[in-house]
Amino acid sequence: MTNPIHEPIAELRQVTKMFGSKKAVNQVSFTIEKGSITAILGPNGAGKSTAISMMLGLKDASEGKVLLFGQSPKDLKVREKIGAMLQEVSVMDGLRTREIINLIRGYYPNPLSLDDIALLSGLTPEELNKWAVKMSGGQKRKLSFALAIAGNPELLFFDEPTVGLDTSARRLFWQTVRKLADQGKTILFTTHYLQEADDMADRILLFHQGQVAADGTPEAIKAKLTRRSVSFIVDADHRQVKELLREVPGVTDVFENNGRLNAVTDDTDTALAALFRAGLAVRDVRIDQGSLDEAFDQLTMDQGEAV
Amino acid sequence: MTTWKLITLQCRMELLRMVRNPYYIFWSLAMPILFYFIFTRVVNTGADDAGQWQAHYLMSMASFSVMGTAIMSLGIRLVQERVQGWAVYMRVTPLPGSVYFFGKMFVQTVMHLLCILVIFVAGYLINGVSLTFGQWLLSGLWILIASVPFLAIGTLIGSMKRVDTASGVSNGIYLGLAVTGGMWFPIEAMPSIMQAIGKWMPSYHFGGGAWSIVRGEAPGLDNFAVLAGYLVVFMLLSTYIRKKQQAD
Repeated sequence: MTNPIHEPIAELRQVTKMFGSKKAVNQVSFTIEKGSITAILGPNGAGKSTAISMMLGLKDASEGKVLLFGQSPKDLKVREKIGAMLQEVSVMDGLRTREIINLIRGYYPNPLSLDDIALLSGLTPEELNKWAVKMSGGQKRKLSFALAIAGNPELLFFDEPTVGLDTSARRLFWQTVRKLADQGKTILFTTHYLQEADDMADRILLFHQGQVAADGTPEAIKAKLTRRSVSFIVDADHRQVKELLREVPGVTDVFENNGRLNAVTDDTDTALAALFRAGLAVRDVRIDQGSLDEAFDQLTMDQGEAV
Repeated sequence: MTTWKLITLQCRMELLRMVRNPYYIFWSLAMPILFYFIFTRVVNTGADDAGQWQAHYLMSMASFSVMGTAIMSLGIRLVQERVQGWAVYMRVTPLPGSVYFFGKMFVQTVMHLLCILVIFVAGYLINGVSLTFGQWLLSGLWILIASVPFLAIGTLIGSMKRVDTASGVSNGIYLGLAVTGGMWFPIEAMPSIMQAIGKWMPSYHFGGGAWSIVRGEAPGLDNFAVLAGYLVVFMLLSTYIRKKQQAD
């Protein structure tokens, strides 16, 4: 067995997708490793859904290559290993929920049992007996999830899976996804809820204007994008303290706000050490780290202005 | 998965859905049977040979019914499944598109067979139409097999974006073809310009094969040629449209 950790499951190589003259996805490359949970994040029209559609073989790339398990996503052998929950919830008329699940199970070589699917998706026996078209929005979502996992796939796609779910349903959904990830399944999802990406993903791909604007762990993205700062109260000449701080390596900005001095820096430890070395009686020290939401807004806004 | 297992699974499910949704088949049967009753029992058409006319018009109505099922049911169902997102979802599963399509065609064939049987029985019950066993069998087979170009029209309708448009357009095509092809009234009773147009209609040749069989003749070469020509054109067109839609 070769290194089992670095096993690329999905790969995009220099992928571009044009709609007319507009580039929905522009020269995007990334690799998804086995067993990872990756969140694709980005504002509307950033190219997330187009990227997912190409990975699912629903759309063809204009340029570049999309590979799943080293092959074309349209390959039937590849499709036996993937499951997807699309944004559009689809049901078939004339069939009961149980019958639809069994139909889809029949398409795969090693499907999960109906009991396991019901347990994981939270579909009750009554819901399984219902006509699929008569189900409520939330129930249809559960069915959609049930169909995604029916074939016991290795790679799961969830396109905005929790839209329209209430808080408890959402929590249950992510608990189940975590369970699937623990079984070694690779998971790729898009979301508008940044908190979900932060909580669930071990990697975030931030899409903006058809390109990957940032790629890394939620922590790395936060560290890279959020402004860490140290703020404090000091009974000394503020002008002198400001000058002192500006000399400290790593400090990018110093300002006063509500009687507190603020120093923006990636390295708050060094800034604090400098203050103590100078023998300043600083008190009520706070270290702030911006939220991912702020980072997200900041990044997409900055780039928006740059264009 | 073996393809055979997939095919039986898909056909079984499609059949189950058809049986549970008798609405579609009802309309394909109600209008032709009503027409048959009116134009062979109520209205005096002044035909020389009443028995011949009753057999001829029975073939017209059987073709009319099957043509409607092929164009309307198939087309509208395909659009519905796409609008509901089901067709897209199918492309993510390991079910080959060809098996999905085969399942649809299988159910269509079962529906066509049902239409033919019911209308033939209606003809027998209403007018005591009597044909030889060979004529019943061959005319039924002709209608079943020669309906393929109309299934291709249904597939074309199926590439439309909205159910409303598909329903309107398919209705128009269906009734237009029926009238111009002489299914409602023989084209011999129409103005010469209509006759000239009618002779190039697929519906005229579809009915034409069955009319020949009940007259005791074989379907003409022109029936085969025109229907095959239309089939090729419709298939090319629908392949082109599908390629175009997929590229978007």
